[in-house]
Amino acid sequence: MPLENSWLFPVIESIHVIGLAAFAGTVVLGDLSTLGLVRAETRSLTRWTHSGLALMLITGALMFFSDTARYLHNPAFHVKIALLVAALIVHFALRRSGTRLAAFLSLTLWTTVVLAARAIADFDV
Amino acid sequence: MFNPLLELARLLQDTPLRLELSQSTWSVPIIGAIHVLAIAWFGGSVLVDDPQNDNVLRRFRWIGLSILLFTGALLFCSQPLRLYYSQFFRLKMLLMVLIGASALFPTRQGRLAMVLSLALWAGVILASRGIAYR
Repeated sequence: MPLENSWLFPVIESIHVIGLAAFAGTVVLGDLSTLGLVRAETRSLTRWTHSGLALMLITGALMFFSDTARYLHNPAFHVKIALLVAALIVHFALRRSGTRLAAFLSLTLWTTVVLAARAIADFDV
Repeated sequence: MFNPLLELARLLQDTPLRLELSQSTWSVPIIGAIHVLAIAWFGGSVLVDDPQNDNVLRRFRWIGLSILLFTGALLFCSQPLRLYYSQFFRLKMLLMVLIGASALFPTRQGRLAMVLSLALWAGVILASRGIAYR
């Protein structure tokens, strides 16, 4: 039975969203605090950021390999992956510097990654 | 038998807002996307350690929650009857009532309370995903 049609798929999707809340949530908070919009002790959050990211990458890969044809033909998925690569580069290469530009880039890129991801369901062909 | 929740769903089903939302191509996807963004916003602010009960952070948390509730209400208005009959939607609402009830108890410090709260939120997300299917 393909993964798409089993109860496993929604469960994996849910874990992906739980990972999103942990990962993107803590990243957004860190960026906003770099920009001076929020005051938060975000250093203690790194564990959540990294476990969230790991969870997202694993469940994301599982979903992708459950139906590669669906994703490879989906324009929203292409946009998402391009933005994701850019966001990951900013996250691991620039964000450490703690500059406002890096924080701004990180915020906008992750936001657009989420928007494009959500759109995958709307662009199924 | 009079069922107030079903009546509410029926009432909302007949509103112009429901028609508008369910017939528009982009409304529901866009509102849904904002709903997911707000999950990230709110999720991060819940996870952060806040021993000083910082005002800015608290406001940040409330804004996230408000966006979640507002976009959630709009999404409900886009298909009230279907959601009323969805088992996963009912489960989600039940879990949210439990979260609301747990917030009423002022002394919920400690590890167990934190684990319980996170488990409830994880349950809400699981139930939400299920709505798309059943």
